[in-house]
Amino acid sequence: MRYKVNHTTKYIYQAQATLCHNIVFQSLGPFPYQHVEKYEYSIQPEPNFLVKRKDFFGNEFIYFAVQKSHKELIVKSDSEVTLEIPNWTQLDPSSTPPWENVKQWLESTEAPNETRQFYLESTHVKFIDGLREYTLQSFTPNRPIMEAMMDLNTRINTDFKFTPGFTDISTPLEDVFRYKKGVCQDFAHFGLACVRSVGLAGRYMSGYIETLPPPGKPKMVGADASHAWMALFIPEAGWVEFDATNNLLVSNQHIRVAYGRDFADIVPLKGIVYSGGGQKMVVTVDVNKVAE
Amino acid sequence: MIDFYLAERTKNNTPFFDELATKDGTVFSHWQKLVESYDRMGNDKLNSRAKEVIQLLRDNGVTYNIYGDPNGMHRPWMLDPVPMVFSESDWDMIEKGLTQRAELLNQILIDIYGERKLISSGLIPIEMVYNHLGFLRQMDKVRIPGNHQLIAYSADLARGPNGKLWVLHDRTDAPSGAGYAFENRVAMTRVFPDMIRENHVQKITSYYQTLKNTLVNLAWQNKENPRIVVLSPGPGNETYFEHAYLSSFMGFTLALGEDLTVSDGYVWLKTIEGLEKVDVIVRRVDDVFCDPLELRMDSHLGVVGLMEAIRQKKVLVINPLGTRILENPGLMAFLPKLCREIMGEELILPSVATWWCGQEKELQYVLDNIQFLIIRQIYRNHVNKSIYGGNLSQQEIDELKKRIIAKPYLYVGQEMVNFSTTPSYINGNLEARNAVFRSYIVSDSENSSYHVMPGGLSRSSPDRGVFIVSNQSGGISKDTWVLGTSKRSAVEAKPVSLIKQVDNILPSRTGENLFWLGRYIERAIFLVRMLRIILKEYYETEDEFHMEDDITLVTLLQTLTSITATFPGFNHRKTLHNPEKELISLVNDQNKPGSLSQTLQFFLSNGYAVRDRLGLDTWRIMDNISEEWDFLKNQNNLNEINRSLDNLIVKLMAFHGLNFDNMTREPSWNILNIGRFLESSVKTCSILKSILTKRHDPEAERTLLEYLLMINESLVTYRYRYRSTLEVFGVLNLLLIDELNPKSVTYQIGRIDLHVANMPSNNNHYLNPIRKKLLETTTLVRLCEPHELSLAKNGKSRKELSKFLDNVIALLREASDMINQHYFSHIQSQYGFVTTKLPEI
Repeated sequence: MRYKVNHTTKYIYQAQATLCHNIVFQSLGPFPYQHVEKYEYSIQPEPNFLVKRKDFFGNEFIYFAVQKSHKELIVKSDSEVTLEIPNWTQLDPSSTPPWENVKQWLESTEAPNETRQFYLESTHVKFIDGLREYTLQSFTPNRPIMEAMMDLNTRINTDFKFTPGFTDISTPLEDVFRYKKGVCQDFAHFGLACVRSVGLAGRYMSGYIETLPPPGKPKMVGADASHAWMALFIPEAGWVEFDATNNLLVSNQHIRVAYGRDFADIVPLKGIVYSGGGQKMVVTVDVNKVAE
Repeated sequence: MIDFYLAERTKNNTPFFDELATKDGTVFSHWQKLVESYDRMGNDKLNSRAKEVIQLLRDNGVTYNIYGDPNGMHRPWMLDPVPMVFSESDWDMIEKGLTQRAELLNQILIDIYGERKLISSGLIPIEMVYNHLGFLRQMDKVRIPGNHQLIAYSADLARGPNGKLWVLHDRTDAPSGAGYAFENRVAMTRVFPDMIRENHVQKITSYYQTLKNTLVNLAWQNKENPRIVVLSPGPGNETYFEHAYLSSFMGFTLALGEDLTVSDGYVWLKTIEGLEKVDVIVRRVDDVFCDPLELRMDSHLGVVGLMEAIRQKKVLVINPLGTRILENPGLMAFLPKLCREIMGEELILPSVATWWCGQEKELQYVLDNIQFLIIRQIYRNHVNKSIYGGNLSQQEIDELKKRIIAKPYLYVGQEMVNFSTTPSYINGNLEARNAVFRSYIVSDSENSSYHVMPGGLSRSSPDRGVFIVSNQSGGISKDTWVLGTSKRSAVEAKPVSLIKQVDNILPSRTGENLFWLGRYIERAIFLVRMLRIILKEYYETEDEFHMEDDITLVTLLQTLTSITATFPGFNHRKTLHNPEKELISLVNDQNKPGSLSQTLQFFLSNGYAVRDRLGLDTWRIMDNISEEWDFLKNQNNLNEINRSLDNLIVKLMAFHGLNFDNMTREPSWNILNIGRFLESSVKTCSILKSILTKRHDPEAERTLLEYLLMINESLVTYRYRYRSTLEVFGVLNLLLIDELNPKSVTYQIGRIDLHVANMPSNNNHYLNPIRKKLLETTTLVRLCEPHELSLAKNGKSRKELSKFLDNVIALLREASDMINQHYFSHIQSQYGFVTTKLPEI
């Protein structure tokens, strides 16, 4: 499946800004089952200083600074990507190892640091009260890890109500759990907290998904947004991705940008601007299928 | 006096080791000479020397701040006249042990930000590093030149009951106290020169020289003559005194985060002359606060973009960001094994016994013995404080256990060590007090080794048998003497002259502080003079019961309201009838804008913010003014206030005098004076306007003119110059256009212009806009006709004079704005955060 992605972020400042420093995590990373055909970006006004770098996890990011007076900042990314159907879709969940075995392996130094780091807490993924108990309802003794995860994924999807505007970046996980409301990132963070609380390794995934138009209607431009889901480490299969928001095992509709412990590691665009007033932000994401 | 100490030592069978004598009262050999000196000295002499020490430190303005205590700012630094003493053989072991520990920690640091083999092999548990907030993933694989990534290191040591030394804490982020150690030594050398000589006390200056050499050697950029700044969190910080002191002593520039900016990948200092490149930052800001873009977004102490400048190798930051990962008590439990693995040798200096709860057995031990242990988190901050198990109630213990069990890998239990006692001079006696010693270790980049300061900062608790000795909780500092004849500093320090001094540049913010310092001192002086004259008139008034009818007093009071902008104030007849309350509040109410108390507060806060620019004697005067302010703040009695004002005016004038004598004629001097003369010219005009606009009967007018001249310190000059009765015309002549009277507006504008002309950015080929504005102002004043202005054309008021003075004041304000624009406009601290919101699908 081949997709075109246009991601535009526009900041409009109330007063002239004299200086801004920014970090952008928007280039599509190298992931299995994903081939990046094209990645281009443009920034207006032209930055005075720009470098591309890799973060701790290997994601590419851009640091740039605009050192002249400006009232608007526009960051555009244009990408094309081909997605394959991952092998894990062929996997029989009941044939995967019991989750406790995976936990044990992760605790040992046989597992590499790069995998082990993902069973620890992080900024947005906290071991809150009641979490472990919630998780253990799916992760029953000796249950095959993938089967347990599919069950958890479905439970999150049914127990939680997708409610845009109920949460923001500072909403603690406790509130998401208490009110069972949130958006994709909250569900991803919650799912991660669940699996990590029982000693399993989970990664936060950021990217895009194509929203399917209602039957008979054309797809709206700009109707899409960036998306978040999670990946669980399953020996032999690798990082298997689950999307609790849509209650599915990720196939060839999820375009991957970056991964980290949680949102804080890979914020799509963050910056500090020197300006007298406030600012307004407009984000448009457009995902189009170009070939089957 | 030692007899008393020894008697106590043998009598009280304390469980502590004692630094001076064995349990049976035998004095250790390295203390022998000192004991003789104290005996010779006797109580009286030691007492007077103890006072001398405290006085010296006060004179040098040595202070520290206590967090969370409004009266905790600028606390005088306390120094025990009796030092902590180490014998040569003890020190040999300490020095070897600290060098080894520094090398070991350095290797661990390199691994953590490099290959992380120590973690993948299990020598260090992953939970202890990856869960530690000091593990800055942004610093992965980022190196500074050379073998050492840990440059400045401090360890707190104490001696246990068996006489062995233990490391209590490792400080690797931004260790503080080296400046205080130096001040302590300076004071002790002055007061006890003979004892220092006789006992061959090792000099500690090599430490500072090594630090400077290393910074210069390691700089990525401008290696010939790097610009080094000390990045401080600011005057509110606990050890701000030290930041200011070290900067001026080492020849570095003191900067706050807002003084620095990143542009083109370089770090720049915002100065009154524009932007200047910074090559090395000596960091006193905790690492996570250093760059709000990539680290803690809520930080206002850092520099936006600093991380990228570091990755660009455009700036060297010492200690490198991320070194705080080593401030991890959990690590202590693993050091003996790590030392064997990494260094192939045994750890020389043991750490205090530590159990990391991330392991089953250790967790159980800690839970079972919690009331005998200190519980710490692996990451220390203001929230995660040490908990003494013995001080907890059963309920608190249960809650703590629950927290530990939930996340055991975040906790350690540590043994409560009985620190050794050492003689402390308390209430005129030598008494045994428990003490901790902080060592200072710095990388010597030329020799790829570590240099240990032969000395350091010891602290003892003021109370018997107490082990909490931090300065925050009232500990007393001690100089630390390492005895011995062997030449210890293997490093030959570069002579200072080999390192070129960087011009003493002035950050814009410092410039702004100096400008306001000048304005507030002058404002305070005018206020005090006015208040003294008002009080004099108040006491002498004949209309005791109808003060509102005493024209002179009323005019003065209303002038006071006007120049302090405390309207309606004395414009209310009721307030005039009983002016005492309003008068007192104008003196002591710190929260009343315009009051003397608030003016002094602003004067002092601007002064403390630039203390590295002012001489030592000036600090002393500032401390004196601060004391007088403390007194005034709490004073409700006009008589007492009157007396205090007399003291205050002398001190305020002394501040001027000292600056005149001591400040080098560089930008800071010019800026201070620009502020000062701007204030005095504006105030002179305002007072003239307020007193002379209304025309009074000749007798009242004469009295008022006399007071007017007194406020401006020009009465004697007037009498000498005019030898006649007081007249408005003459007074205007003297205070407006007299070219030679330093109190005249003409003269003062001339001084502003002179100081602007002396600023380095000034171009002498043509007048800059500020000087043009000043020329316009001075021309207006110098061309005025005092005789014309003195006339009250309608018989009641001098409208022309009032209009004229308004014009002059308006022009001076414009000049002031232009000065702000020109020199301080680089200050750009207002910023907002932008970040992508939550994706919504």
